[in-house]
Amino acid sequence: MASAAKTNKSERPFNFLRWAKSRKGQQTLIIIGFSIIPLLLLFTFTYFPFVKMAQFSFYDRNYIKVRGFVGLKNYIDVFKRPDIFKSLWLSLYYMGGAVVQLALALYLATIFCFGVKGGNFFKGCMFFPYLINGIAIGFIFKFFYTRGFVLDTVLQWIGFDLENLPYWLRDTSINNVSLVATSVWKYFGQNMVLFVGAMMSVDASLYEAAELDGANKWQQFKYIMLPSIKTIVMLNLIMSITGSLSAFEPPYVIMSGGGNGTATYFVKMHEVAHTSQKLGLASAMAIVLLIIIFIVTILQKLFFKYVFKNAEDEDKGAAAKREKKLAKLRAKEAAR
Amino acid sequence: MKFKKLMALGMAAVMTMSLAACGSSDNNASSGNDAAADTAAKTDAAADTAAAETEADTNQDAAESSLTYAGITLGEDYTDLTTSIKWIHHKTDREEDGTIQGYIDEFNKMYPNITVEHEGITDYAETALLRLPTGDWGDIMFIPAIDMADLENYFIPYGSVAEMSELINFADQWKYQDQCYGIGYMGNAQGLLYNKAVFEAAGITELPKTPDEFIADLQLIKDNTDAIPLYTNYAAGWTMGGAWDGYLGAITTGDTTWLNQKFTHTAEPFADNGDGTGAYALYKILYDAVAQGLTEEDYTTTDWEGCKGMINRGEIGTMVLGSWAVAQMKAAGDNPDDIGYMPFPITVNGKQYATAGPDYCYGINAQSSADNQAAAMVFVKWMVEESGWCDFEGGYPISKTAPTSFVFDGVEVVNNDSAPEDEADLMNQMNAESELNFNAGGDSRVQRIVEAGATGESYDDIMAEWTQKWNDAQSALGVDVLY
Repeated sequence: MASAAKTNKSERPFNFLRWAKSRKGQQTLIIIGFSIIPLLLLFTFTYFPFVKMAQFSFYDRNYIKVRGFVGLKNYIDVFKRPDIFKSLWLSLYYMGGAVVQLALALYLATIFCFGVKGGNFFKGCMFFPYLINGIAIGFIFKFFYTRGFVLDTVLQWIGFDLENLPYWLRDTSINNVSLVATSVWKYFGQNMVLFVGAMMSVDASLYEAAELDGANKWQQFKYIMLPSIKTIVMLNLIMSITGSLSAFEPPYVIMSGGGNGTATYFVKMHEVAHTSQKLGLASAMAIVLLIIIFIVTILQKLFFKYVFKNAEDEDKGAAAKREKKLAKLRAKEAAR
Repeated sequence: MKFKKLMALGMAAVMTMSLAACGSSDNNASSGNDAAADTAAKTDAAADTAAAETEADTNQDAAESSLTYAGITLGEDYTDLTTSIKWIHHKTDREEDGTIQGYIDEFNKMYPNITVEHEGITDYAETALLRLPTGDWGDIMFIPAIDMADLENYFIPYGSVAEMSELINFADQWKYQDQCYGIGYMGNAQGLLYNKAVFEAAGITELPKTPDEFIADLQLIKDNTDAIPLYTNYAAGWTMGGAWDGYLGAITTGDTTWLNQKFTHTAEPFADNGDGTGAYALYKILYDAVAQGLTEEDYTTTDWEGCKGMINRGEIGTMVLGSWAVAQMKAAGDNPDDIGYMPFPITVNGKQYATAGPDYCYGINAQSSADNQAAAMVFVKWMVEESGWCDFEGGYPISKTAPTSFVFDGVEVVNNDSAPEDEADLMNQMNAESELNFNAGGDSRVQRIVEAGATGESYDDIMAEWTQKWNDAQSALGVDVLY
């Protein structure tokens, strides 16, 4: 009887309902159920459009009409056209700004970490710009930089003569710096808050121990704080550099569409895609930018690996030396 | 991860905002309704007319054909008609300040039994298109950008184009199979905005007729007054390409076929004619004004909202804008009478030209009841002929009989001829291929002239570059070079 029942059970045809009610079935169904929605969203709104864009980049087309397959012509144009490729150089301004921004954020975060009266208030003030919408910031700075307005007035208070001040947005030698300054103003607070968060997680007893050993604040920063937060520093740097490659709001809003030599790669892309409706060329530009961002990120990773590897190598070397010394001592002892 | 998400969220928010910002500036331009939008709509529609003409004409109604604009005598016909009609429009500013209600009250003195409901829509161009197919949007709307072939599905004709042309200007704006479907509420003419008081203070007695005279007058304004001679409105963007490109065509060449028929086939459209005409002379005015310091100090921080009050107070001498801007400048301060509008200072063979076209046009719902259609047409006719709204807005007259204060002395008002049907899309293609985008958002191109004027870059080099791009586009698209 028992064996008959057993064989019966094993031969019973697959019953979906029963399977679905079983523990294993429930597990599988829940996993599928929970992951299918995000995956579907990811696919429809990220990967599928991306594949389409990659496809567009090989065609000469606008939004509604395809004029024909042109192969790599769009890519060649991206590199050959001086106005497009030159706009990439403007990113250097923003990269420079990113470095300044990170240094400033790191400096302020360190100060906050060592304790400041009313620290939370100041932190809030500095983080606040990040919460303002980028378009609003654009309009704020449009007036900020207007001749004889905020910036000029403040500079006049501290003794500058209006005659000697440049036109912040008109002079092509300085207007990109003015624009970069707005993006530094916006993002440094956010970087700072991230740094403070990472620094807070460092064990306080380490500082105490270091202090007892006679380390000053700079040494504490250099040997305890910085190594502990290097992942966050790296993350912030990568985000800032890739962000500076795709700078868009400041030139677009403040300079009304990137006039006066401030058209960054993104602004140029926007113009090509929407004003001139060369969708193929714009898609090619986007893909080239993607590749550039990949390359820059990989380079940064390699760079940091190299920098931190050196430190580890020293440690390893030291350990090896110590081992050697110990081995020698042991050998001596054994010889005795 | 969280940070990345935050970043993504932030980016998404920013992008949505920037989209919204783009949208609103577009609206600005289209409510301004420069000739650009008009011609674009026209050429688009013309392209589709050919295709649709083969379709059978199914929507003709006996009731419609008996009702015509010309056949209505205001104050006599339909006085016993009792109904309620609804009108949707884009003039939210006039809705808010009570101007529209005022006109309706006035209308009700003549037609007390016709109740007019009205709704001002902020996002008109899109909302109207969405509501149109539903059919129950009301009885009168300003016709949004639709194809000419669709006109008869949505609207009833006012009468034949020939018949209407005797009564109103621009009867051919919305025409299909020789029927007129739309009547403008006001017209826009292309000229130049100036402050009469500033001109007087500068000692300018006669309006300039050529670029040289104009620049000389700007110099007079600079020498004799504190006003900014020419305010470029560089920073607003759409006031650059959107404004300056509007003068290409008949105004600069005296040839109504130039813009939509010859331009694309011209080998050197930007060549210096040497006599102050043509596209070269048009943009040269801007270049010279900037190069000679006759514009605002810092062009990168011009303020569109602020400039309205400035010209009203006499702090600005001239601005290059379509006549739609007149009403806004007048309303912006205490000196509405100082705002004047003059023909563009280019003279071709001893004659100045101006182009003009209608703003939004009244259309009457084809699905309304016969009574409502009649009441709607009575109302439209009253608004056009009797209300004086067009003149109040400072617009170019629509009605040929209503009194108007719009004066363009000694100027021939013309309309740029539309492109031939087989080339309806050619201008768009040329614009896209050359990336010069004339009358199609080429703001950065005109901004560059200002920059060149300020930095001393050669104007002829820019013109040569444009010519090069134009010629490249012509060969890429295989366009025959005929002129």
